[in-house]
Amino acid sequence: MSPNKTLLEARQLVVNYKNHRAIDTLDLSVPAGCVYALLGGNGAGKTSTINTFLGFNRPTDGNVFIDGESPDQNPTMVRAKVAYLPENVALYEYMSGLENLRFFCTLANIRLSRQHAHDLLVNTGLQTDAHERRVSTYSKGMRQKVGLAIASAKQAKVMLLDEPTSGLDPSAANDFAQRIRAAADLGMAVLMATHDLFNAKQVADRIGIMKAGRLVEEFDAHTVAHDELEHKYLAHARGLL
Amino acid sequence: MLRDGRLLVLAFSVFAVLIGFFLASVAEHRQMQQEKQAVGATAKEQWDTQGVKNPHAAAHFGIYVFKPDSPLASIDSGLRQYTGQALWLEPHKRNGARFSPAADQGLASRFGQASAGFVLYALLPLLVIALAFNAVTQEREQGTLRMLHSLGVSGTKLLLGKFTGLLLAFVVVLLPAMAVALIILYQNFDLAGDDILRLFALSGAFFVYYAVFAALAMSTSIHFKSSRLALFTLLAFWLGSVLIAPRLGSVAAEMMVPTPNATAFWSGIKQDIQQGLDNDGDHEAREALFKAQVLKQYGVARIEDLPVGYTALKRSFNDGYSERVHALHFDRLRDAFERQGRFVHIASLLGPSIAMRSVSMTLSGMDLAHQRHFEDAAENYRHYFIGLTDDWDRERSHGTERGAQGHDADWGSVKAFSYAPPSAGFALNYVLVDLLVLLAWLAAALMWLLFSARRLKP
Repeated sequence: MSPNKTLLEARQLVVNYKNHRAIDTLDLSVPAGCVYALLGGNGAGKTSTINTFLGFNRPTDGNVFIDGESPDQNPTMVRAKVAYLPENVALYEYMSGLENLRFFCTLANIRLSRQHAHDLLVNTGLQTDAHERRVSTYSKGMRQKVGLAIASAKQAKVMLLDEPTSGLDPSAANDFAQRIRAAADLGMAVLMATHDLFNAKQVADRIGIMKAGRLVEEFDAHTVAHDELEHKYLAHARGLL
Repeated sequence: MLRDGRLLVLAFSVFAVLIGFFLASVAEHRQMQQEKQAVGATAKEQWDTQGVKNPHAAAHFGIYVFKPDSPLASIDSGLRQYTGQALWLEPHKRNGARFSPAADQGLASRFGQASAGFVLYALLPLLVIALAFNAVTQEREQGTLRMLHSLGVSGTKLLLGKFTGLLLAFVVVLLPAMAVALIILYQNFDLAGDDILRLFALSGAFFVYYAVFAALAMSTSIHFKSSRLALFTLLAFWLGSVLIAPRLGSVAAEMMVPTPNATAFWSGIKQDIQQGLDNDGDHEAREALFKAQVLKQYGVARIEDLPVGYTALKRSFNDGYSERVHALHFDRLRDAFERQGRFVHIASLLGPSIAMRSVSMTLSGMDLAHQRHFEDAAENYRHYFIGLTDDWDRERSHGTERGAQGHDADWGSVKAFSYAPPSAGFALNYVLVDLLVLLAWLAAALMWLLFSARRLKP
């Protein structure tokens, strides 16, 4: 995979919900190997952006592309290239982590041997003794790991994360950030909606701040100082900018 | 479903309820069958041993005949509660069936006839709804639907998979009960090939019926955001289909095709016999004409000079006319019932239960069509044995003398009533429209399911 190829792209994207404009002329691109963190308060349009890339929302105007294809035109093919991790990874409570992984993969037409499924879960850091336990006993972090294993099994080119570290303890959040970084280093394009400045600064290559559906600031995560990022973020959130 | 215990609980409940009701139905059916055989044998024995008496007086002793119910009546007793179990065959008059079980029961029992048939056509759709009402809403509520969508699983594939899985689960739930029911049937009754054929057709129709509810429940689950709303909507549909539609249909049918009450029906027959049909003339005129024809036929001037009994001749003539009038009124009434049945079908727009009920009753041989077939056979038998007694009366007397006598040998020579129920083909032909209605419901439900699946959103 070319490290510079744009895998996620929004062009002049507008999304309206009835009389409310959720996304307003958004231009955004995430190349392969890049982690893009979208910051913003509640209702800024972060989740709407992710939903539009997933094809759950239809653009009112403009376009979105994943690896050059529109999720609106060909949702099934586009989603085959995408891994999605919501804030709470929803799994079937009466199945074990291993069974959930294999079940979701079967539905996505991915054949996964039992051993391969175990290996994928081990790679995400899920303890071996938890593989066969029902997920109703899992913590949020453990569910995230099953979600990551599904993403790995799909060999997705793009990962969409919606508040992935919300509610995780610092150690689990750090572990999760490292795994996302590792996935990006292998060539995946990652778009992450988050409130977590620390996490964004730690894992992202680029950071954007959204406000009222618009992308109002963009930073290079490697050069922007944490204080400057925090100042800008709070200023936008409080309506000072 | 297996893991959350729903399937096991439902399998156990279905087995217990279905087999419980079925055993009660089989016991009732067997008891009724034995009673009919015992009463029938006693009545025939009493007929055979009447001793020496006038043949027409013997005919007035009358014969009781009973409708032999199909073994499948244990599954659906249909109209048995309301149609009579016995027909009293006597001269001059065609009777309706009498001794309906409902007449022996209290008013309360008429509000709920719980039977295996009721479980199959009314309660099991509720179980389908219980299994399917949250098929999609639960996925939506738990967030797994978003996960599935994000994996590129198409709505059509997901829904058809769930639909097939649900039907398979339902069959697995039903199979043990069906197997045990079949064994009970086999042990208690002589199952003919025709019964097996009817049983297969009935199973197929019920499968289509449950598939309609499954597809509708799935589709409803797609369109509602909460499981509770989906459940309430489906319960309302069940109520409309199973309980309200038949009553609405009946009321509409009675308004569109009114039928006479018993008093009006019998007085209509009496009036037509007395006054005559069309230009036949009244009773006295017809008898005068007949008398003239008989005298001319035998070449005598007075009835006293006839070589045969005139009373028997005249009775046969009057009975022949009476049969014609009875047939006309009975056919008119039964045609009206059938037209009412067709009007009731209009209420099938509210749900498939009316059509299923009709298929179930007919294939079990417990509907109006089978009752009519039996009553016609009984009427033919009445003609046979009344004709015999009239022959004996006419041949063993002459003129106006009425000294004809019959003996036990005569009464014993009257063949017992032997009834052959109609074939499965008769039943299938009769319920063709109902089967088409069921298939139309299935087609519509599946189309709605596919349409809904394409619009499935997380």
